[in-house]
Amino acid sequence: MTARRRLVLALAWLALLLLAGWLVGQRLDLSGDLRKFMPSAQTPAQKLLIDELGEGPGSRLLLVALSGDDAETLASQSAALRERLAAQSRFSTVANGGDDGLDAIAERLRPYRYLLSPTLDSQRLDAAFLADELAARVQDLGSPMASLVEPLLPSDPTLETLKLAESWQPSNAPQRLHGVWFDRAGREALLVLETRAAGFDPTGQQGAIDAIHSAFAAVRGDSPARLTLSGPGAFSVEIGSRTAREAGWIGTLDSLIFVLLLWLAYRSWKAPLLGALPLASGGLAGLGAVVLGFDGVHGITVAFGFTLIGVAQDYPIHLFSHQRAGLSPWASARALWPTLGTGVVATGIAYLTFLVSGVEGLEQLAVFTIVGLGTAALATRFVLPGLIDPSPRDAADSPRLARLWARLARWPRMGVTAFAALAMVAIAVAAWAPGPFWQNDLSKLTPVPVAALERDAQLRDELGAPDVRYVIAVEGRDAEAALRASEALQPALRKLQAADAISGYDLAARYLPSAATQRARQSRLPSTPELQVSLDSAVASSPFRGDAFAGFVDDVARAKAASPLRVSDLAGTPLAASVGGLLLERKGHATALVSLAGLADPDAVARVAAQHGAQLLDLKQASESLVSAYRGRLLWALALASLLLVATVWIALRSPHRVLRVLAPMALTTLLILAVLRGFGVELNLFHLVALILAAGLGLDYALFFDHAGDDRDEQLRTLHAIIVCSLTTLLVFSMLALSSIPVLRAIGGTVALGVAFNFVLALLFTRQPAASGSMRMEDADADA
Amino acid sequence: MRTGFVELRGSALLKAPLRIEGEYQRPRDGTLVREVRVPYAETTTIRAGEVQIARAGKSPRTFSLSRAPELGGLQASFGALLSGDRALLEQHYRIAVDGTRARWVMTLTPKQPGLAAQLRSVVLRGRGAELRCIDTQPIKGDLQRTLLAGAARAAAGVSDASALQALCHGNGNGVAAR
Repeated sequence: MTARRRLVLALAWLALLLLAGWLVGQRLDLSGDLRKFMPSAQTPAQKLLIDELGEGPGSRLLLVALSGDDAETLASQSAALRERLAAQSRFSTVANGGDDGLDAIAERLRPYRYLLSPTLDSQRLDAAFLADELAARVQDLGSPMASLVEPLLPSDPTLETLKLAESWQPSNAPQRLHGVWFDRAGREALLVLETRAAGFDPTGQQGAIDAIHSAFAAVRGDSPARLTLSGPGAFSVEIGSRTAREAGWIGTLDSLIFVLLLWLAYRSWKAPLLGALPLASGGLAGLGAVVLGFDGVHGITVAFGFTLIGVAQDYPIHLFSHQRAGLSPWASARALWPTLGTGVVATGIAYLTFLVSGVEGLEQLAVFTIVGLGTAALATRFVLPGLIDPSPRDAADSPRLARLWARLARWPRMGVTAFAALAMVAIAVAAWAPGPFWQNDLSKLTPVPVAALERDAQLRDELGAPDVRYVIAVEGRDAEAALRASEALQPALRKLQAADAISGYDLAARYLPSAATQRARQSRLPSTPELQVSLDSAVASSPFRGDAFAGFVDDVARAKAASPLRVSDLAGTPLAASVGGLLLERKGHATALVSLAGLADPDAVARVAAQHGAQLLDLKQASESLVSAYRGRLLWALALASLLLVATVWIALRSPHRVLRVLAPMALTTLLILAVLRGFGVELNLFHLVALILAAGLGLDYALFFDHAGDDRDEQLRTLHAIIVCSLTTLLVFSMLALSSIPVLRAIGGTVALGVAFNFVLALLFTRQPAASGSMRMEDADADA
Repeated sequence: MRTGFVELRGSALLKAPLRIEGEYQRPRDGTLVREVRVPYAETTTIRAGEVQIARAGKSPRTFSLSRAPELGGLQASFGALLSGDRALLEQHYRIAVDGTRARWVMTLTPKQPGLAAQLRSVVLRGRGAELRCIDTQPIKGDLQRTLLAGAARAAAGVSDASALQALCHGNGNGVAAR
């Protein structure tokens, strides 16, 4: 095959990959859903977190502040923003204080006001009470409120509608200026939005945030006003794009490094192209398999998966470095196959354990890596030989490499004693270094800037927005039971508020009392004749006309006869959103949530909740316990995987001595990485763990190839060349990641870079066999030179 | 700045219009206080687009000024008239002036559609530097009349509607001409 033909074929392969990439991209449904990634929930808090909430009622809230113009302008912008956003289905609530709540009660629900309002709990609709109320209404008519209350009065002389609307306002809402919420200083107009998309849904949150920005751009006009956005969704979008930006430029730089290194190493511009094809094929095949096999690919699967199949980058390099004139590339590939294949099969079998972990995220990862590595290896074995230059410079002929090899040959070989001693030291450091071993807080991996957190805390305080971390859950057999149980909690909550343990709370029963409470209020409503008598006597002694309140008697009669209002009756009214977010119903089970604002004393709240049969859930702790459960499964899978790996290598090499020589460096490397990370006070997380697996995979390959080289000098030189190219590319690529400002990239980068360095050195010191005849010839060559 | 007022508030629900006496105060720019003294005590504070009504023994009630458009007109005209700021007034209203300096009538018609949907006009009447009467005509409901300063003083003890109208319109009954 001519060089030209080979190039055309390589380019055709590339084109095929682009096409396949486009096809996979069409069907790729990337999800950020924590539920796909985590093991199934065990504790109530985990269940609530995973099954019902996503991340808690506060996680859907976005806090908005408008500043930078005079208060009146900001107020009209706030009103315009609310009008625009409330019309969009992305948001279940858009609140800016502009709604005084009168519209929250749909017309058809108005007669229910006597069942929803607590007035009747302490009061009867008798003549004395009505006379008092009518006197107050006269004053209302003489006050600036007149035009507000006058239309309500005929059917509602006690202004129950207004009382309800007021009681449904946030319990500690910010001050209102010019009709909308403002901060205490009166400089910033404030809004709270609730997205329909879950807090963990990055696409949904991104859409909501884009909608807010574009709406603001439209209402701002040429005003110098600024918009600040805060809340979990805003943070995750901000950090997601920052991570993507940084990963993007690091990736570009890494590709450049890769191209340059391969070009230099093989003095051919085609080497980087051919070298990239198997990995790209593997990645696409892996991704395609996951897309076909699962609904929805988790973003973390893709990130972990591409990290793990990074080891396939080395496969073509081995083929390149061993190629020389006079050797058919097919024969060379066949000769390398047992070694390459052992590495791939051993790693693949190890990843099989992820399939039985019971965690979908890990199962996806297993499918991705096994298919990816397999494809890359098969492409290297059965396609790449047809495309590479059959007679490049023999790496074994390079004098510079020969000198390096000679120097390396003089390195002392590491004995078993030294090896064991080093391992003991590493274990000791890893085990006894101070500080926690694991970092479970996933948010620490993508930290929010301190300034943004402070701003969030300030806005949260101004708005009395609910706590994102804690929520009280009250369980019940059905909605009614849960509502009743949460009602019983209310006196205790008021006490907590008075004691400053919390600054506010919200619960579904505030909008929709239990049917039992509604029935109790119903029983306290007077009969129609009774009410008529009381009303007549109250009206007679007031400035009101005798027929002013005809509608009132009818409404009370309807309220007395009505069946209590249920959740389903609220459908289509603004109350449905308020209740729906705080009352979660499932078949045979319901959970009423109490959101808490300004939580100062979680312990006191937890105690009080427990006394009333409720539970203070710590959602952060729950998500951390899930992370730790995930890690537990991963560690078990890895333990099993290492046994399978040893067995596979044993079967392939059939000699205890060789097995030890191949596996010991990667085992020691793992210990050394742990010791270094722990020694520097790094708390380990899932990303370190995945990076450790990749490092081990690389180490296995280095060792297998050094073992394969045997004691033949030229083979050792070619292997050395291959492994230097492999380790140098990997080292540079991951060192770039290690320099990132984002901890998750740093965790992967640092760990793999350390792993490459340790594996390389240990493979040289421990696995490589002394070149019996070769070293003599080498010394001759050196003398000649 | 403070000035006494007498206000008549009519409603279809009431047997007779309500007569209220008290005092308007402007403790500082941008704040208007309406203090009712007779027949009951009540203090309303209007500031930054918000209205707060305080009554003895009850927690104060707050609502948005946009819910009480006639009050907005009152506040704007008060402030503008007191500071002689016609430009401020013209931001919100079309202005028509009639009469002589000794007996003038200023008619304000809201410009903004929101306000215009609730408020037909505000008619101010006065003598020289004295604003004596404000007639607020909402789109729905009865005319609301407020007598101020000399007119309010003259209205002491007067409850007949036509006599009050005469006082407002400045058809002096001798007391006003004092």
